[in-house]
Amino acid sequence: MADLFFTSMTELARMIATKAVSPVEVVRAHLDRIAALDPGLRAYITVCDDAALEAARAAETALMSGGAVGPLHGVPYALKDLYDTAGLRTTGGSRILADRVPAKDATVTQRLARAGAILLGKLNMVEFAYGPEGLNPHYGHARNPWDAGVHRMAGGSSSGSGVAVAAGLAPGSLGSDTGGSIRIPASLCGITGLKPTYGRVSRAGVLPLAWSMDHVGPMTRSAADCALMLGAMAGYDPADASTSVLPVPDYAAALTGDLKGLRVGLLRGFFLEGATPEVRAAVEAAAATLTHAGAVVDELSLEQMGLVPAASTAIVAAEALACHAEFLRTRAAEYDPDVARRLRLSAFVGGAHYVRAQQVRGLVRDAVDAALARRDVLLAPSTPLVAPALDARQTTLGDGPSDVRGALLRFTRPFNLSGHPACALPCGFTAGGLPIGMQLVGRPFDEATVLRAADGFQRLTDFHARRPVLA
Amino acid sequence: MTDPIDLETLRRGAHLAGFAWSDAELEEIRPQVEAMLRMLRALDTVPMGDAEPTTLYRTV
Repeated sequence: MADLFFTSMTELARMIATKAVSPVEVVRAHLDRIAALDPGLRAYITVCDDAALEAARAAETALMSGGAVGPLHGVPYALKDLYDTAGLRTTGGSRILADRVPAKDATVTQRLARAGAILLGKLNMVEFAYGPEGLNPHYGHARNPWDAGVHRMAGGSSSGSGVAVAAGLAPGSLGSDTGGSIRIPASLCGITGLKPTYGRVSRAGVLPLAWSMDHVGPMTRSAADCALMLGAMAGYDPADASTSVLPVPDYAAALTGDLKGLRVGLLRGFFLEGATPEVRAAVEAAAATLTHAGAVVDELSLEQMGLVPAASTAIVAAEALACHAEFLRTRAAEYDPDVARRLRLSAFVGGAHYVRAQQVRGLVRDAVDAALARRDVLLAPSTPLVAPALDARQTTLGDGPSDVRGALLRFTRPFNLSGHPACALPCGFTAGGLPIGMQLVGRPFDEATVLRAADGFQRLTDFHARRPVLA
Repeated sequence: MTDPIDLETLRRGAHLAGFAWSDAELEEIRPQVEAMLRMLRALDTVPMGDAEPTTLYRTV
């Protein structure tokens, strides 16, 4: 069967449930594609060939015997290599943990397995999730599939998650997002990624970078598939005290396609005026598309955004150092030198600055809450630029020069500080064929509206349906 | 703390934080430490009012 590897998770689940296709065929199609393309793309750190096929055969048997099946029965997916997997190594993209084999699964791994999903493997990432470019000297830099001529950044830290989904090496994946690590690779790789509200999805069994900023969420090729995965993952977990007891709504049922009356705030100032002209034009065109569909779009600027880089840096640096202090003392030589340098910097963040940053977090949260008091979602670019070349260090944004690292993080990390849900999705392509991403930000625990808006946009456009040309 | 930082200051800071990094390792990060502290200085200038630290977003 042609192109099973570019079939959506929603459609695969339907085809498997109706016995139009076998889970074994689906898994084999993906494993074949991984074998053919991953040596060049480097999306995976570990591929679970045998285990995935065994699970697919078991799924097929269960289906044929008429047993109850979950919403993701027989559908394959892959995990960023910081989710614990029982009996399967979880490296965090590091040499230090290269042989670490957890005894139990992360909560979300368990929940996806319970829903019937089949794990294809563990995905490449920035070492310990500390960096937005998507580079990894230990396992190779994942390659952005949208440019065969130039080795471009996949974005990070969930680089393999972005590449695998964009290139058809997995129909969906999980990433994690501390400063944008789901939304940045989603933007650069032309896929859809959701950072849920802080507390919506359990972080238990996920290697931390900065506890108060870490979010976990799905990366897929459509908002509908994000809704499918989120529904299987979300909800209270006694193993993660930050998770909410709020009930988990039926996200798929929320995808009505109706955008009439949706109140959208287009974020200017720090956001649109900071983007490159091509990105700004694509996001403005997306706003016009939403308006044409009946949404009510107004424009605003968010206050406090100028403080976000300092507050975010102080919090992530201090928490990351606390997390890594022991390894930094005993195994520093095994780190990616760039990651080790950034961790060393963290020793010079004072306690007062950490607390001031947490005060700023309150101000940022209040500013986003205020903007959403009279609006359903906010619209902004996901990143101010498209995928840079691998060796790019400096760039020029709409409001002046910037280092690439700061540029990649600029529009995403405000919502790690604030904790609001944010969905990145493609909204255009440059003249050179590189994807452009926008993000929709919603009220706390209102992922349903965020996904409804994203899905509604995807019903009107085909940016999410375009595929990179690969050998 | 936005003035240039000398190696001895970095040594002391690292020592107080419990790390024994070499002078070469500290020299390597000196410009970045200076840049980071310049950036963090922005936090000292914000009128916080009665804003309390928000260590987590909110839990429900």
